[in-house]
Amino acid sequence: MQTAAKITDDMKVPSKSFWHKMPIIAFMLGIMCILYWVTGFKADPHRAMYGYLFAFICVLSIALGAMFFVIIQHLSRAGWSVVVRRIAEFAMWTMPLFVVLFLPIAFWAPDIFPWSHIETGDVILENKASYLNMNFFMVRSAIYFAIWLLIGWWFYKTSVGQDQGNRQEDTRKLWTLSAPAVILFALSLTFASFDWLMSLQPHWFSTIFGVYFFAGCFLAGMAFITLMLLGLQAAGILTKTVTFEHYQDLGKLMFGFTVFWAYIAFSQFMLYWYANIPEETEFYMHRLQHGWEYVSYAMIFTNFFIPFFFLLSRHVKRNKLGLALFCCWTLLVHFLDLYWIIMPNYGAHGLAEGAHPPHASIHGNDLILLAGMLSLFIAYVSYFVARKNIVPIGDPKLIESLHFENA
Amino acid sequence: MVSKSIENMPEYVGNTHRGDLVLPEDVVKREELIRGNPTFHDITETVCKMAQTPFSETHIGWRVGFAISLSLAIMFFGLIAYLIWEGIGIWGNASPVFWAWDIVNFVFWVGIGHAGTLISAVLFLFRQKWRTSINRYAEAMTIFAVICALVFPGIHVGRIWVIYWVFPIPNSMEMWPNFRSPLLWDVFAVGTYFTVSLLFWYVGLIPDIATLRDRVKSRAAKIAYGIFALGWRGSMRHWLHYERAYLLLAALSTPLVLSVHSVVSFDFAVAQLPGWHTTIFPPYFVAGAIFSGFAMVQTLVLPARKWLGLKDIVTMKHIENMNKIILVTGSIVGYAYAMEFFIAWYSGNQYESFAFINRAFGPYAWSYWIMVSCNVISPQLFWFKKLRTSIVVSFVISIFVNIGMWFERFVITVTSLNRDFLPSSWHYFSPRIFEPLFLIGSFGLFFTLFLLFVRYLPVIAMAEVKSVLPQANPHEGHHS
Repeated sequence: MQTAAKITDDMKVPSKSFWHKMPIIAFMLGIMCILYWVTGFKADPHRAMYGYLFAFICVLSIALGAMFFVIIQHLSRAGWSVVVRRIAEFAMWTMPLFVVLFLPIAFWAPDIFPWSHIETGDVILENKASYLNMNFFMVRSAIYFAIWLLIGWWFYKTSVGQDQGNRQEDTRKLWTLSAPAVILFALSLTFASFDWLMSLQPHWFSTIFGVYFFAGCFLAGMAFITLMLLGLQAAGILTKTVTFEHYQDLGKLMFGFTVFWAYIAFSQFMLYWYANIPEETEFYMHRLQHGWEYVSYAMIFTNFFIPFFFLLSRHVKRNKLGLALFCCWTLLVHFLDLYWIIMPNYGAHGLAEGAHPPHASIHGNDLILLAGMLSLFIAYVSYFVARKNIVPIGDPKLIESLHFENA
Repeated sequence: MVSKSIENMPEYVGNTHRGDLVLPEDVVKREELIRGNPTFHDITETVCKMAQTPFSETHIGWRVGFAISLSLAIMFFGLIAYLIWEGIGIWGNASPVFWAWDIVNFVFWVGIGHAGTLISAVLFLFRQKWRTSINRYAEAMTIFAVICALVFPGIHVGRIWVIYWVFPIPNSMEMWPNFRSPLLWDVFAVGTYFTVSLLFWYVGLIPDIATLRDRVKSRAAKIAYGIFALGWRGSMRHWLHYERAYLLLAALSTPLVLSVHSVVSFDFAVAQLPGWHTTIFPPYFVAGAIFSGFAMVQTLVLPARKWLGLKDIVTMKHIENMNKIILVTGSIVGYAYAMEFFIAWYSGNQYESFAFINRAFGPYAWSYWIMVSCNVISPQLFWFKKLRTSIVVSFVISIFVNIGMWFERFVITVTSLNRDFLPSSWHYFSPRIFEPLFLIGSFGLFFTLFLLFVRYLPVIAMAEVKSVLPQANPHEGHHS
């Protein structure tokens, strides 16, 4: 049995590579988009902040998906994924960026979250005011970020610390601490999804909502990692390290989670549709009117049937173009899913008798801001790519990953 | 700018290059799955021993166990006959608790029937090779558990002579089952699951049955095994088809692992009853089913590996891995309990809140706390390596989980029903003597089938275990 892993040239980013320019280009682009968005913000801050929340959650969900990927690799002692894990570690350790990006949400929270002003006579909201109030909301948000910063920082630091080649024993620590990490991650992600998404419609509730958000996060994270790998390979990096075998496994995971997302979405919808209790169907009623019905029906196809049949075949999972198309599509429809969760709430609260909420629409400004935040995120990740080892070269299971083949 | 640390790295990372780069052995190398370096022949000998023993020499323990199980199974059939003769009234079911032990036992057994297919299909797709030592009897357990499960909806319909009404059979009365009823979906879901699991188990058995056919002495046994071996000769072409069929069945079974218990959860969750109607039910039921299934595998395998001399095939690593799965799924179940409780409060709906407070502090609080301590608290002991690698602790906790998962279904069914929307009709349900007897009888049926399986079929997937031995790897011993 071979016990030594060969460090090859393709594990480095060549000094002339485009990837060295990527951080600055993406950063400039991101700043430009955000500045453009600010002009729209001045015109209608209320609407713009809904777009801000949307863009923030979209990009954050990628980082959280990557974080789960990292934790679960350690938890399951995976060997195959070592060569792709570092990209996920980069994506997860962008968490400081999200702390900064969250500040405007914290500032404008009373404007975004309708439970911040309880109308007299709203017994339901009065009953849960001990949970849905601004102070506790801020404390909880701080706790979520504290957990994610802690997990992101420690798992990143420990993995990078192995690169010098003398900290292999740390793998055992990574294994041990991945177990408590996954519990903290699950609880923080669940309550974050309750606070930042579900409470936008404060009377509505669903026990599965955290799982629903998690399924989307993981899909987005996987799609991003795969796209990064494809992008690096297009620049001649990692060409010998990451093989079709790794791509096929990433594809299998994404395929599985496409089905899992649909399963969770169906469970939530079907059970509420079947029982037909007004306080529960409210969420779907809202999204089957005023133009949102087209989005709702389309999502059955865009988020399930199309990706399902597209990625079913083994050949597509082992085809770079096919996989790239799938990943772009998955990210887009994941963003659509979040848009569909967040945006129908805009202008839907405190309406006068007989008044209608605004018709479904996509604002250019929302998309510009999404592009901006995504660019900042990519700038952050590619900053790591240009400066750090893009493969965990000191990981004792690197050799297993390099020689990995689907049986 | 090239990263500095790469420049400083030696060309090789590994224990062959430099003294200071010794890799931790247990991290780099995957543990051997089978202990004691057996040859292929040793595996065959160990596994086939029981099936090749003549009946007159069968171990006394097996005989006693079989006698007891068979008696209980016969009692079970007697009870069913009495139930059909006398009617559902022999049970304690009374308004408003019209559903009690019958549905509880059904869900309990279906849940147990999840581990087998999960081990054979999902762990196969995840390349978890350790599954080869446990998949065969886990699958057998699945099939027998589903048989026990199917008995209960079959008999609790009351008029069993019209049981065929549950199937959408064209008829002159133009009578159809209600396609919107989850009970009908159950018929399809469990029926499909049973069929595919049986096929999967049987396909896996074929090469091993052929081994037995070639080894047994008696002519009758040769013919019997010969029929089921389907003319297996072990040719390259046979193996090629076999592997392809196995992969396809694994892919088909994987969604079934999720769908069966999801549909079972719909039986409850589509209703408007607080305590039943909540969106997390489908994944939560699936996690609970895997949890209880693994506990039952553990309960069966710990004595079996001792009595059948399989300790080198089913090693501590297998037991530890199963305990880890029990810990994970037990924690997912705990998460679901917590979500139900939190959302019951968060919903601001007084009926939802009442249902859960009634569960934890009402007349059935005792059953709720049995459930929580067995399902959520007891598996947490597996956080400690010392405890999850202890045979005694593993066995005791597996029993706790079995008990806890039965009570989970009891809590869901009975506590939600016994105090419904109309306080004047509230009623404390108590079983009569027949309910426990039915449950014990179903265990009799289960163990009768299981003991027959242990006696006459290879309890370990020999061909698959051989494939994970080091000598099966063609690259073994070659240092490149």
